[in-house]
Amino acid sequence: MESRAPDESGISGAEESPGRLSLPAQIFMALAVAVVLGFTAWHLATVFLYVSPPNTVSKQHKETIDGYVLPEFEQNWKLFAPNPLQQNIDVQARAEVQKKDGSTEQTPWVNLSAQDAEAIKHNPAPSHTEQNELRRAWDYFINSHDEKNRPNGVRGELSEQYLKRIVMLRFGPVLNDGKVQSIQLRAEVTPLAAPDWSADKRSTQSSYRQLGWWQVTTADLQKGDRETWSSWEGSGQ
Amino acid sequence: MSANATNVTRVEHAVTRAVERVTRQALGPYQTAVVRIGFALTWLLFLLREFPHRHELYGPDSPWSRGLAEQLLQLNDAFTVLMWSDSDAFFEIVYGLAVLASLALMLGWRTRTMSVLFMIGVLSLQNRSVFMGDGGDNVIHLVAIYLVLTRCGQVWSLDARRRARTAPDAPPRDAVGVWLWSVLGFGLLAATLLGHLSWGWALIFYGLWLAQAVWWMVQRLWPGEPRTVCDQLANLVHNAGLLIIMVQVVFVYATAGWYKVQGTLWQDGTALHYPLHLDYFTPWPALSDTLGGSGTMVMIITYGTVIVQVAFPFTLFNRRIKNVLLALMIIEHASIAVILGLPFFSLAMIAADAVFLPTVFLMWIGGWTVAGRDRLIGRRRRAAEPAALKAPRQSAPADVESGTPLR
Repeated sequence: MESRAPDESGISGAEESPGRLSLPAQIFMALAVAVVLGFTAWHLATVFLYVSPPNTVSKQHKETIDGYVLPEFEQNWKLFAPNPLQQNIDVQARAEVQKKDGSTEQTPWVNLSAQDAEAIKHNPAPSHTEQNELRRAWDYFINSHDEKNRPNGVRGELSEQYLKRIVMLRFGPVLNDGKVQSIQLRAEVTPLAAPDWSADKRSTQSSYRQLGWWQVTTADLQKGDRETWSSWEGSGQ
Repeated sequence: MSANATNVTRVEHAVTRAVERVTRQALGPYQTAVVRIGFALTWLLFLLREFPHRHELYGPDSPWSRGLAEQLLQLNDAFTVLMWSDSDAFFEIVYGLAVLASLALMLGWRTRTMSVLFMIGVLSLQNRSVFMGDGGDNVIHLVAIYLVLTRCGQVWSLDARRRARTAPDAPPRDAVGVWLWSVLGFGLLAATLLGHLSWGWALIFYGLWLAQAVWWMVQRLWPGEPRTVCDQLANLVHNAGLLIIMVQVVFVYATAGWYKVQGTLWQDGTALHYPLHLDYFTPWPALSDTLGGSGTMVMIITYGTVIVQVAFPFTLFNRRIKNVLLALMIIEHASIAVILGLPFFSLAMIAADAVFLPTVFLMWIGGWTVAGRDRLIGRRRRAAEPAALKAPRQSAPADVESGTPLR
C-alpha cells in the first residue's frame, strides 16, 4: 500500500519516494528497461507474424520468423478452423505372416482406429496413446507424402518407419500363429453426414487410401519382441 | 526557452514514471500464481495419468523410437535431455523428476528453481515425441518457458509462507536452497563436460544459475542499492513475462476465432455438429448426440464460440465485459473436457484464461480455499483431540490430572 502512494501523488511524489537510485543505477535500469521492452516487442511481433495468415511482412521475413519461433515457440491455434474435420479416418492394417510349416497367409484388415475409439469410449481421460498416437502419425504421413504416397524428404521417411512401428507394437511379432513378415496400411475415410436439418445432403460413402506392402525388419519391432521374431524363422526350417 | 525546458522535464518525468511503473512492482501476483498452480497441476495430472503409458509415449522403445527422434531433432534442434542417454533408468529418473518438479512448482517450493526444472521436464518429454501431443501440450510448452521469467511464487506458495515467517530485512538463511543450487550446478557442469548442451541453452542455464547466486549474494552482502537494482530487474522481467503470457493467450483466441470466421460451416451454424461425431472425440456418444440433436442449440454454440473468440481481445479494455466472456470461455472449456474427452487440454486452457481473472475474485477463491482447509484440518484436530487425551490416560494416568484443560 505504502509503495503505491508516491505514484499516485504525482511527479513530485515520485522524486521523493524512498529508495531512489543513484544516477548510474538509474541509467542501468533505463537500459535494462529498453532491452527487455525491445525483446518483448520482438518476441510478440515475431509470434504474431507466425500465427497470422501469410502476409507482405511475414513472406518477406519467413526465414527469420521460422528461425526464431521454431521449434520451442511453435504454435498452431487453427482449432477446428477454418472448418472442422468432417470425416472419420480409420487407419487399418493387415499382415502377411509366415506359418511354422513355411506357408504364408494374409490376415484380414484390422481397424486400429476402431480399437482407439473403443478405448476412448466412456473414458473421462483418454490417453495420448489412444487419442493422438495413431491419429497424428497418419496425419504426419499424409503431410509428408505426395498423392502417390511418395515421401518428400527425410520427414516422410521417418513417418513411414513411425507408422510401421506403431502397427508392429499393436500386432506383435507373431499374429495368427505366423511370423509377421510384411504389413500393409490403408485409411478408410468416411465423410460425416450433414445434420438432419441441413440442406447439405452429402454422400457418406467411404473411400480408401491404400499404401504398398512394407517389409518388416527388426528395427520395426519392440526390443522385447525381436528375440521371438528372429527365433521364429529358425524353427520354421 | 523555458517552455522547451518544461517539455524536456515533462518527457523526462514521463520516462522516469514509466520505468518506475514496470520496475517497482511485480504486477499480477495472484494471476501469475494461479497460472503457475494451474499449469503445474495440469502437467502433474497428465504425467500421473500417463504413468502406465510413459514408455510408449516417451521411452527409449516408443514407436517413435530413439533413432527416429534423433533424426528429427537433428532437423529441428529442439531441446530434450532424453537424448543424453538411452538407458531405461535415465528415462525413469527424468520422468520422476518431471513429476516432482511439477509438484514442487505447484506448491511454490523454491519456485524459481522449480520453474526451470519444470520447463526442462516439459520440453524434454514433449520434444522427445512431438507427434504424441495436441493443443494442450502446445500451450503447456509455451507457458512452461514463460513462467521461468516470472516471480510466480509471490503468493500462494511455500516460499511466500517461509518469507512471511522470517524478518523482512534478515539475510536469507536458506541451507536447502544453497544445497539445491549446488547440486544443480554440479549437474549443469556434468552436462556441459559431456557435451550435451548447445551454446544457446548453456547460456540460458548458466545465466539462470548465476542469477540465483547473485540474488543470494546481494541479499546477504549488499543489501543497499545492488539489492534494489536486482529486485527491480526481477520485477521488470516478471512484468515482461506476464505481458507475454497475456498476449500469447490473446493470440490463441484471436487465431482460433479469425480463422473460423472464414469457414463455411462456422458461417452456416453447423460446425459444432462435426466434432461431436468424430470417433476420436466422442467418449460419451449419448451426450454428444443430445447436444448435437437440436439445430438451434448447435447454431447458438457455433456462433457463440466464434463471437467469444473473436471478441475476447477487444473486451480486455472493458473489465466487466471481459469478465463475462472469461466466464463463458471457462465454461466452454470445462464442457470440452467432458464432451470431446480432452481434460488436459481444457485444464491447460482454463489455467491460461486465469491470467485475466480479476484480483478480487482470485483473492475470494484463495480465502475460500484457506477457510475450507482450516475447517477440514480443524475438524480433524477436533476429532483427534479426544483420542490424544485418551491415550495418555491409559499409559500415564497421573499426567492427565495435571494436564491441559479441555477446550
